[in-house]
Amino acid sequence: MSLPEPVTTMASPFRMDYTYVAGVGRSVFLRGLAERRLLARRCPGCAQVYLPPPEFCSRCLSELEAPFELDGLGAVSTFCVVNFPFPGQTIEPPYVVAYIQVHGAGTRLMHLVREVEPERVRIGMAVEPVWAPDDQLTTSLKSIQHFRPVRGADA
Amino acid sequence: MTAESLSAPYTVEFPFERTVGPKIGTFLGGLRDARLYGVRTERGVLCPPLEFDPRTGAETGALVPLVTTGTVTSWTWVPSRPGDPLPHDFAWALIAIDGTIGALFHAVDVGGEFARMSTGMRVCARWRQDRIGGMRDIECFEVVP
Ligand SMILES: [Zn+2]
Repeated sequence: MSLPEPVTTMASPFRMDYTYVAGVGRSVFLRGLAERRLLARRCPGCAQVYLPPPEFCSRCLSELEAPFELDGLGAVSTFCVVNFPFPGQTIEPPYVVAYIQVHGAGTRLMHLVREVEPERVRIGMAVEPVWAPDDQLTTSLKSIQHFRPVRGADA
Repeated sequence: MTAESLSAPYTVEFPFERTVGPKIGTFLGGLRDARLYGVRTERGVLCPPLEFDPRTGAETGALVPLVTTGTVTSWTWVPSRPGDPLPHDFAWALIAIDGTIGALFHAVDVGGEFARMSTGMRVCARWRQDRIGGMRDIECFEVVP
């Protein structure tokens, strides 16, 4: 009896459904986003400023101080240009994903940098958040649509 | 400011496809035809087959047709979840197909009755009606009548 016709590829899909629990500290930050507020918290032990803030300092485990607001102005700390299409992608490549060093924070936020040609994005470029319209504000980073270069600022 | 934690449903998903070698490809083709194949090695017939013998690195030999019965060598009982091969609780098991070395990993259906599972039990493949050339062409293994 002859052998079967071989298969050359097989589907090997990966899918995982789970519940994301933000935690008490992170929820403070997320609730702030729904009000167009970027809430940071400082560690009383080592003075590190977290944005987004957890509940406890990851360096010295101290409970962080009360939240305070930052204006969101910052600088591109590092970035990459996404050129690769993938299933589920919501933005047409090429587009820029960057770590943003928000002024006053000791940690970095990952977000999109738009309203600029990808080839003009530079490390150190001054950027500002573009907030979603009122009816799209939510307790997620989607409340910031993207960051964009600060007009008139030197990159 | 409320102290309650926010939570939200979250899904991570990617539709991977992988290429398979000629031996595994023929094994999968066999499943599509509702036939089980192993591959010859120095140590005996390996099922499921591999392209290379993991002990010696030597290329594996000819594909040989097998019976679809085997013995459960190890198992763990699990509650059925969406996407699982069976709608009721079942066992994931390692199954030594008769006449082979190696262990085939698959579900064993005992009608949701934990007490019917045992190491050494005899099982046979239950074939799916619509087969596409993948491991799920075997719906599960069931107790040899
Ligand atoms: Zn600290």
